[in-house]
Amino acid sequence: MTEPPLLRIRGLSKVFGDIPVLDRVDLDVTRGEVLMVIGPSGAGKSTLLRCINRIEIPTTGEVVVDGINMAGNQREHRFVEDSPTETARKRQRIGMVFQRFNLFAHLSALDNVAIGPHRVLGVTKVEARKQAAEHLERVRLSDHIVKRPAQLSGGQQQRVAIARALAMGPTLMLFDEPTSALDPELVGEVLRVIRDLARDGMTMLVVTHEMAFARDVGTRLLFMDAGRVVEDRPPRGFFDQPETDRARAFLRRVNSREAETMG
Amino acid sequence: MPCRRIFPEYSPGMNEFDWNVVWYAVPYLAAGAVVTLELSALGMLFGTTIGAVAGLISLSENRLARGIVRAYVYFVRGTPALVQVFLVYFAMPQFGLELSAFWSGVVALSFNAGGFIAEIVRSGLQSIDAGQTEAAMSIGMTNRQAILFILLPQSLRRITPPLTNEVITLVKSSSLLSVISISELTRSAQAIIAAKFTPFELYAELAVFYLVIISILAKISEYVERRLA
Repeated sequence: MTEPPLLRIRGLSKVFGDIPVLDRVDLDVTRGEVLMVIGPSGAGKSTLLRCINRIEIPTTGEVVVDGINMAGNQREHRFVEDSPTETARKRQRIGMVFQRFNLFAHLSALDNVAIGPHRVLGVTKVEARKQAAEHLERVRLSDHIVKRPAQLSGGQQQRVAIARALAMGPTLMLFDEPTSALDPELVGEVLRVIRDLARDGMTMLVVTHEMAFARDVGTRLLFMDAGRVVEDRPPRGFFDQPETDRARAFLRRVNSREAETMG
Repeated sequence: MPCRRIFPEYSPGMNEFDWNVVWYAVPYLAAGAVVTLELSALGMLFGTTIGAVAGLISLSENRLARGIVRAYVYFVRGTPALVQVFLVYFAMPQFGLELSAFWSGVVALSFNAGGFIAEIVRSGLQSIDAGQTEAAMSIGMTNRQAILFILLPQSLRRITPPLTNEVITLVKSSSLLSVISISELTRSAQAIIAAKFTPFELYAELAVFYLVIISILAKISEYVERRLA
């Protein structure tokens, strides 16, 4: 018997107004897999991530993480929807990293990482800070722990954000375009941290526009378009020989843009 | 000269400004100022407490509580402070609450300030970038934890200037309490005017007293704002 999936998505849809952004997505992710999610803007990539941890409430469909239904619990014969507090509790072990970092602006790098374990998990402040320092070391930021977000570069801020997510001991990490807001020379340091995590066996969904990175680090590649998963394959196969016209058109656009910028 | 129009036969002209009555009034006005400061301090204390709680509730997930706060703010904003003062003073005995004029005044001031401060707190919290809330949610914080540990600390500095305005308004609104016979600053001045028929001197002096009190408050607020920077 095979291991049950860490993440199981069935029929996940999200409609904004009357615009369908996610359209009946099914997905199984096994522990240790690294999924790279690519596709044109408006394809529903970010919405997929945000529906997994319910920062966005799905319109329909089911998300099960590590055996736990994110929407509620089956009691006897009826489904009981979670209270907001229960939803918050279920989010604890799903890490998320945002395009715009979203570090807590009033806290030092250290306290950005420590506040979750301290306030949410009930770890003492001293212990939380000690662990936070270790997580910051893991993302190579030991020299900057007392600085406020405004005093850090974009790349440093994003690494603090990764440490903040790691401090909660996540079973699953969601990256929502983690390098899209960065100056080009700062992209590498963030990708390197994500690559290290992948090597350590972290299960991850990474929405990205970094094609070379997706090809190298991903174990699976999801190509999304118009709210659906159009291709779901090993990255090398996808980039060498996309199966669908839509994927081919997308890769052509990306390549021509890269050719343009390369001169 | 306005005073001349009101009291033509008693009021001195500008060249006969009566400094004696000004000096004479100082201790009486000082005593009134103490009452004004007491009223303001208590109104500030309770008003800020009511306002902070109401402001936090207006962002909570409880719809009933939100509705109550909205109705409260609607009433406070939509009725004159003077009407609120009379309402508190005359309505509370109907409900078996026999309060002195002074405490009725404190209740009216707190009730009024609380409504405005609720709006200040709410808009201060809402002015924080939505990404902060999302990040708080992503590490498993509840709505309450996100407000308390993430949004509130960041909005304090933004809340301070409008809050100062509200405190200044509150000090000035306390003059309305002269109508329910509290011997605060304005009523103390009026008492002397009634005895000495010197409205120009006394109202000018009264204005100076308020200016001094409010200048001190503004300085304190500037200091707080710098400290929160």
